[in-house]
Amino acid sequence: MSEKPKIAVYTCYCGGNISHTVKCEQVAKLLAEQPDVVVSRTNMSLCSDAGQSQIEEDIRELGVNRVVIGACAPSLHEQTFRKTVIRAGLNPYLYHHIGLREQDSWVHTCDADGATCKAVRLMAAGVAKARLLDPLEPIQLEAEKRALVIGGGVAGLRAALDIADQGLKVVLVEKTPFLGGRMAQLDTVFPTGEEAHILLADLIDKVVNHDKITIFTQTEVTKVSGYVGNYGIQLTQHSRGVSAENAKALQDACQQMVADEFNYGLTERKVIYQPYHGCYPPLPAVDWEHYNGEPININGKSEILKDEIQQFELSAGAVVVATGFDPYVPREGEYGYSELPQVVTLPQLIRHMALNPGAKSLEWQGHKVRDIVLIHCVGSREIEGIDEPQEDGQVNNYCSRVCCTATLHMIEELRENFPKLNIYDLYQDIRTYGRGHEDYYINALDNGTRFVRYHGEEKPKVFAAPKGDTHPVLVHVTDALTYNQELEIPVDLVVLATGMQPRQIDDLVKMLKVSRGNDRFLLEVHPKLRPVETAVNGVILAGTAQGPMNIQESISAASAAAAKVISLLGSGQVELQPFVAAVDPEKCNGTGACVEACEYEDAIALETFVEDGKEVTRAVVTPANCTGCGACVAVCPNRAIDVQGWTLAQYEAMVDAIAMDIVDLVEAG
Amino acid sequence: MTATRVDPELLSELKEYGDGQVETCFNCGNCTAICPFTSAEYPFPRNMIRLVQIGGAEKLKQSIDPWLCYYCGDCSQTCPRGAEPGEVMMSLRRWLTAQYDFTGLAKKFYTSKVWEIGAMVVVGVLVVVIALLLSGPVVTDQVELNTFAPVEIVHVADWIMAGMLVFFIAINVFRMWKYIMVDGMDRKVPFSLYITEAWQIVLHLFTQKRWAQCEEDKEKKNWNWIAHLLMVSGYGLMLVIIIFFLKWFQTDEIYPVWHPQRWLGYYATIVLIFGAGRSIIGRIKKNVQMHRFSHASDWIFPVLLLLVALTGIMMHTTRYLGLPLVTYYTYIIHLAFVAPMLILEVPFGKWAHLYYRPLAIYFEQVRAKAKAMPVAETQLASAD
Repeated sequence: MSEKPKIAVYTCYCGGNISHTVKCEQVAKLLAEQPDVVVSRTNMSLCSDAGQSQIEEDIRELGVNRVVIGACAPSLHEQTFRKTVIRAGLNPYLYHHIGLREQDSWVHTCDADGATCKAVRLMAAGVAKARLLDPLEPIQLEAEKRALVIGGGVAGLRAALDIADQGLKVVLVEKTPFLGGRMAQLDTVFPTGEEAHILLADLIDKVVNHDKITIFTQTEVTKVSGYVGNYGIQLTQHSRGVSAENAKALQDACQQMVADEFNYGLTERKVIYQPYHGCYPPLPAVDWEHYNGEPININGKSEILKDEIQQFELSAGAVVVATGFDPYVPREGEYGYSELPQVVTLPQLIRHMALNPGAKSLEWQGHKVRDIVLIHCVGSREIEGIDEPQEDGQVNNYCSRVCCTATLHMIEELRENFPKLNIYDLYQDIRTYGRGHEDYYINALDNGTRFVRYHGEEKPKVFAAPKGDTHPVLVHVTDALTYNQELEIPVDLVVLATGMQPRQIDDLVKMLKVSRGNDRFLLEVHPKLRPVETAVNGVILAGTAQGPMNIQESISAASAAAAKVISLLGSGQVELQPFVAAVDPEKCNGTGACVEACEYEDAIALETFVEDGKEVTRAVVTPANCTGCGACVAVCPNRAIDVQGWTLAQYEAMVDAIAMDIVDLVEAG
Repeated sequence: MTATRVDPELLSELKEYGDGQVETCFNCGNCTAICPFTSAEYPFPRNMIRLVQIGGAEKLKQSIDPWLCYYCGDCSQTCPRGAEPGEVMMSLRRWLTAQYDFTGLAKKFYTSKVWEIGAMVVVGVLVVVIALLLSGPVVTDQVELNTFAPVEIVHVADWIMAGMLVFFIAINVFRMWKYIMVDGMDRKVPFSLYITEAWQIVLHLFTQKRWAQCEEDKEKKNWNWIAHLLMVSGYGLMLVIIIFFLKWFQTDEIYPVWHPQRWLGYYATIVLIFGAGRSIIGRIKKNVQMHRFSHASDWIFPVLLLLVALTGIMMHTTRYLGLPLVTYYTYIIHLAFVAPMLILEVPFGKWAHLYYRPLAIYFEQVRAKAKAMPVAETQLASAD
């Protein structure tokens, strides 16, 4: 450290958030007495223009070279003040931020003296650390101006389009042979009632015709290496199996039928297939997973189709994960599912309606449906100890958010098409939270839908009616609205409003090293402040891979993800925080303990150099891959590694300061 | 507990009995929160509306609740969904009247205007024919009503009619008792309770005092209750006179004004005209919640009352003016209004609330007492 530290300390009132509990003036007074502190001030709102100008002025006028601020959480305004410090000509890492609001005033509202004392300790520790701060420079990396978007559903398409529109290259990878994802399986969508496939076709059209976007269908990501700005990606693609010339003949000749997952098993399709009319790409594809390998006869020749797997390597600066969701599939016997033929899921009913447009009456397996019951929260909001756990031992305790409005939207459609149908809606809570969604609930009430409210602890029971009953199925439900009386509802069809589950993407999660929440959906860094970024730099989330969302929210999330990618890669440079491990070559003697302790690939390695004719082995850090976790610091026997900006020496100084005897001072003040 | 089977048809059935918008209700419970009569035992009107929504006809039949409501209309005004809970309760009273009635006529009258008005006309015409057939000599020199319509014969006809009414009422009340006190109870009620609580019937029949509580928190007096009480007093007075004192009432001798025969008659007529007129004007103006919706049966009852009272006055006047023929004809017309009002309205129409309401309050008290007793005691009582 060359120059003598001149520290400025600021204690922010945060408009009362801090000052209502912490005696800020007293804190400032005590801090002024700390060594090397040249000025200690309070401010009503330090993040305001006036507050920031004060800091700049002090740096310029008083020659301040270290800044300590006690204010809100650093996640909120640390960056603000870094910029303030830069404007005044100081290195931004010569500033330290203390979260007085979240860590002190908000949690000790009943103990003003204690909170004040704690504030003094925290701030004194900040001053002690500031004294030892070194100027740092952010890590600059070359960035590949190309993004990889995983998933060709509505979120992936939107993200790809938004990124490409800003001039960046996009590689869009879709696992299935066709674009469109789950949205293609919907009929009309709330809240506008537009047809899903028309909206989707418009989006697909733009993506397909965009010269910056390359699309790979039947393709999966099989390897990921590298770091933000420079990910190495390996793609594995299955072949289509047919060509434009022979597609029709092959499809016509193909005899093998399998359940059509596009219609959730309601119909069958050939193994050479297109899911729906007008899908993209228009060329049929072979379902390799189900193809039995038997020859197909065309023009007197028999042909055995072969899957030719190809692999590609590419580099990408950022990865957008838009892998989407799977609808929950009820267990056998759950609400009679797969035991009674009259029990279906809502996605199945949506397909059934789409397959029978203009039907005069609702028919199910040849029988007219007079009474229908729709049950909410199937596979959602499950309760531990009551509901049977999923495969991983957890229950789906989250709300799938979309199903309430989807169910009520279906009810509206049923009512419009079949006015005489008796409709029962079994719900826990109606969560029609979006703009215009409540209208579906109000309409359902007005059109005579009968709502029955059950408690999660007492699920409705679905069973076959005894012989001679007027209806094939009986539903028993304890209705909270009828003063917890048990009702018996005789019905012809039971519809289960199934929730959303994350897709099986274990391999991808492992490759990208992203985290998942307890609900198994991918996890963002911060639900409020950084809602689309993952803890892995350069890996961004879009859509329902992150959690249940409707189409509108998926598109918002996708556009947000695109914006993040664009701001990350737009300049062709990626800037990272310098808080990474740094090896002191003087002290390192190449024990390799750090390399063993490191959890991250290619972050630290032993390298051998020749110095003064001698071979020396030392640890070398690759800053782009280092997360600054500190595992290496803890194991180094020589104290040869430090995390920059958070060195051991700084920690020791902070601990000493926190432990200092200040109680008397506070009381005296 | 056996499950209540839902019945989607009940809602549309009840629509024929009134204008409640049951289907729009989202069960918020504001109606029950505002109601001064609601209790943990009887959380109406929400529980009733819910039973209509799910079609719990059996549970509804066993309910007292609709009879405990006096339609102040606070619930309808508070309802955020315009479900008209007050009107639903009114419809349920009509529906219950139809359920208690074993002949099925009440249902016909409530659900078909043709049936109701047709029956009125038939009974009226029948009365005219019988009256003309049985009438005595027409004296035109002076008014001799008792020669034209001998009071002995009319009195006998009164008693025949009263006997018929008692017969229908007894059976309907028995059915009401069975639904509420047997089917709707989880235990047997000791007979002694029916005796010790019987005074409730008399009290509520004559005072309708429960209704007076409807607006107890408000500054303004409950004029509906007062007007209704007056009208009931006139009606009851007339009923007693006609059934028991007709010979004293229907005389050709003209008494002085201070004679009770005169002023009792005037009092009854005035309060009847006032009460019925107020109800009719209210239903035309629709300015209070109670009068916003008018079922055909709501019109027929006060209109008949008014016509009975007006023809009574007219007859009285023409007799004093010494117009014999007009008096005789008016008398027959008067009978043609009186008969359907009693024969059809009493067991099958709106009039029935006169005994269903006090009985319901009586049953409620008996029920409460029975439920408060230790279970063993009630079983013991039933074993006797």
